[in-house]
Amino acid sequence: MPLEGLKGRRALVTGAASGIGSSIVERLKREGVGVVATDIHPGNGIEVADLTDAGDVERLAGSVSAIDFLVNAAGGPAVVSRKHTLPPIPGAIALEDLDEKTWSAVLAANLTTAFLVCREFAPRMKARKFGRIVNFASIAARRGSDRVGAHYAAAKGGIIGLTKTLALELGPHGITVNAIAPGFIKTPRIEAAGWGDASPAFIESLPLRRAGKPGDIAGVVAMLCSEAGSYVSGATIDVNGGWYFGP
Amino acid sequence: MPKPVAIVTGGAKPDSIGHEVALRLVKEGMQVVVADLYEEGFAALANCLCLRCDVSDPDSVGSMIEKSIQSFGRIDVLVNCVGGSWGITRTDLVAPPPRGFRGLMNCSLEDWRTIVAANLDSVFYCARAAAPHLKKQGGAIVNVASIAARKGIPPGSEGSSGPYAVAKAGVMGLTRQLALELGPCGVRVNCVAPGVIASGRLRRVFEVSRKDHGPEGPLSTIPMGRVGTVDECAALIVALCTDDTSYMTGVMVDINGASYAA
Repeated sequence: MPLEGLKGRRALVTGAASGIGSSIVERLKREGVGVVATDIHPGNGIEVADLTDAGDVERLAGSVSAIDFLVNAAGGPAVVSRKHTLPPIPGAIALEDLDEKTWSAVLAANLTTAFLVCREFAPRMKARKFGRIVNFASIAARRGSDRVGAHYAAAKGGIIGLTKTLALELGPHGITVNAIAPGFIKTPRIEAAGWGDASPAFIESLPLRRAGKPGDIAGVVAMLCSEAGSYVSGATIDVNGGWYFGP
Repeated sequence: MPKPVAIVTGGAKPDSIGHEVALRLVKEGMQVVVADLYEEGFAALANCLCLRCDVSDPDSVGSMIEKSIQSFGRIDVLVNCVGGSWGITRTDLVAPPPRGFRGLMNCSLEDWRTIVAANLDSVFYCARAAAPHLKKQGGAIVNVASIAARKGIPPGSEGSSGPYAVAKAGVMGLTRQLALELGPCGVRVNCVAPGVIASGRLRRVFEVSRKDHGPEGPLSTIPMGRVGTVDECAALIVALCTDDTSYMTGVMVDINGASYAA
């Protein structure tokens, strides 16, 4: 059975050029959702925009008509720029080695992007008394981040606070706001970074005994946008195979 | 491919979350067993196998699981919907909700035992009896906790109880433990925690209590400005039974219109 409430709707998906984002685009399209896909990295069917830049966000909004679903999948542990859009995923950075530039860039890529895009599109959702916003937190915000560092965990923790606040603020306007906190998801970039060869002991320690796939996350996005998500708001949904139990 | 088989406890009362879950699982193409004490509701579930079962009695649960296996040969999904602070024993099934606030300080010991048995023991008994069958091919368990497990029942509220809040918090702990024990066998275990849902039970509370108050507090404080529907809650439970949530286990999904963000 297809999920109720998706067919014929329109979505904006950020961070859509690769990995989890592109899997979300495919899934929503399969459900009959009209999708606008954006990324800082050019790609097939991608509207290029640097969402850390309010001017770029405004320009993007000018080329997009009304949307029902906003999926803020842009972000990640690496410092991205227009010139260097998909850098390899870096290793862990210890506190004393964490420079302000990296701190600010990772906060901007993960947290400021979600803030700016929500600020731009929420008024249109309010006007139509309907909307679903799905933000991306991470297991890093739940248990801390030993693979990346404090900057990434702080940015993703910020997403949870942003999500809860927007749920309170936009709830009266018929808009739900939730976050997904993925665990270890094997995307092509994660594999390239060598994380794909996670130790067998780690995989064996996961209750579901496997790494996640981008499609595992896309399914939960679809759920939150569908009728099943219509009274869920302010929640952070852990999708991590049982690695870490959130509250 | 044989049809997957789902057991829904507490699905017989019309306007209940469990009833809607059972109907939706039938639409998903499953064979559905409804286990309930409310036999009067069985006629409205013609497409389900309805079994009289007292889920707070392990023998009754054992025989319900056995009959399900005899009829369909497998179990893929278990949804534990039985619960509540009243209407949970054969003698008070159709009685109106008791008046007054029943907190931990003033509830009777019988209240405590009855409510914990129906809300927490029942989930343990059903999960343990169904697990050997679920493990054969993998599957999903969905438990129903409550916002009461997150924030308690404010003293003065009617229609719920202190023991209920404690039992539902137990359901959350049970969910996590089951997730650890059954995950390696391909059985996912998750939990929904509903806020105020417009079920038949809420209507009956409103018949005797003030209409601007749910059991968990004033309705005007719900950010989404409305109570949830049985349809919304059932759709979420069904999604937790399907492959859309294939990498979720041990998760509490709050469904409360932004009333409480855990």
